[in-house]
Amino acid sequence: MSEKTRVIGTAGGALGLGAFAAAVGACCGLPWAVPLLGVGGAVLLARLSFLLPYALLGAGGLLAVAFWWVYRPPVVCADGTCLESDRRPLRWIVWVAALLVAALATVGLAPGSA
Amino acid sequence: MRIRRAVLITIGLLGAAAGCARDDSSAGAASSTPYVVLDDQASQLRANFNRNVGSVRLLFVVDPICPGCLRGLDDMNRDLLQSTADPRLQTFVVHEPVLGVARVAPWLRISGGQDVAGAARLLHNLQVQHYWNPSGAFGRLLSQAVGLKNHERQVYAWDVWLIYGPEAKWEGADPPRPQLLMHQLGALRGSPQFPRLDSRIFAQRVRTLLAQLPPGSTTSMLERPAQ
Repeated sequence: MSEKTRVIGTAGGALGLGAFAAAVGACCGLPWAVPLLGVGGAVLLARLSFLLPYALLGAGGLLAVAFWWVYRPPVVCADGTCLESDRRPLRWIVWVAALLVAALATVGLAPGSA
Repeated sequence: MRIRRAVLITIGLLGAAAGCARDDSSAGAASSTPYVVLDDQASQLRANFNRNVGSVRLLFVVDPICPGCLRGLDDMNRDLLQSTADPRLQTFVVHEPVLGVARVAPWLRISGGQDVAGAARLLHNLQVQHYWNPSGAFGRLLSQAVGLKNHERQVYAWDVWLIYGPEAKWEGADPPRPQLLMHQLGALRGSPQFPRLDSRIFAQRVRTLLAQLPPGSTTSMLERPAQ
């Protein structure tokens, strides 16, 4: 698996978990769940709300792994000929993902009325 | 050309007829769980409440599109209501618009009471009566009546779950104080007076009260709304 695939996959996973956290966190304060998911889906979403902190922890862990991959020390080969690929685009991706996850976490943790 | 136009018109008319038929059937399904539109004095609820003095009465106040409230209804059904047909237990569910900006501008809830039917389907018990309070005034009335406060701050009453004993009577304008009030409100978190909803504990309290009643002491006297 290439470095690019790993980093994008990890950042994408963090974004997915962040989106899930935002959905379950905002489920009870905003009137969107029943029109979108129906009564059964809304009940299920409310039942999953206990997963919010775990989803945020998971997202944070995945982001930490992604940051480690894009900032880890370059590989030094014995003969000194290893070519390190340019990591700047991947770093941008991880930083954007981190900002988005932070925004989603803010939505998920915003004080709801119920 | 004329034939094609006639075919198109026929198809259009058939489509319109099918649409009307579908609308009618969905309206029928929605009206399968009737509800009473509650006035701001809750007079219909008060009448039914007092008509059932002698039975244990439950009052649930929910927003029919609030997922937490719907989960609460589902839990109540699982732990209590679906397993009993005891006529000495009467349940009143008041639905009110709260989520989003509905509490300050209830007229923005364009779906109105249409959401009540979906929420009502979660409760499988014949002794349940549903009310829709479009203005949300009942939440303020109940909050004042039961002293729903966090320190000195008044908390609007919704997502609250109340038990009334057989002796409770609604006299005057305000609802009586319940034997137990549970809630799922962040604004009341940590309140020693009002515990957080635990449907198992709630059901246990109801069963204890029912066990103290003589068997068959009352019959269901709910006033069903006109269809």
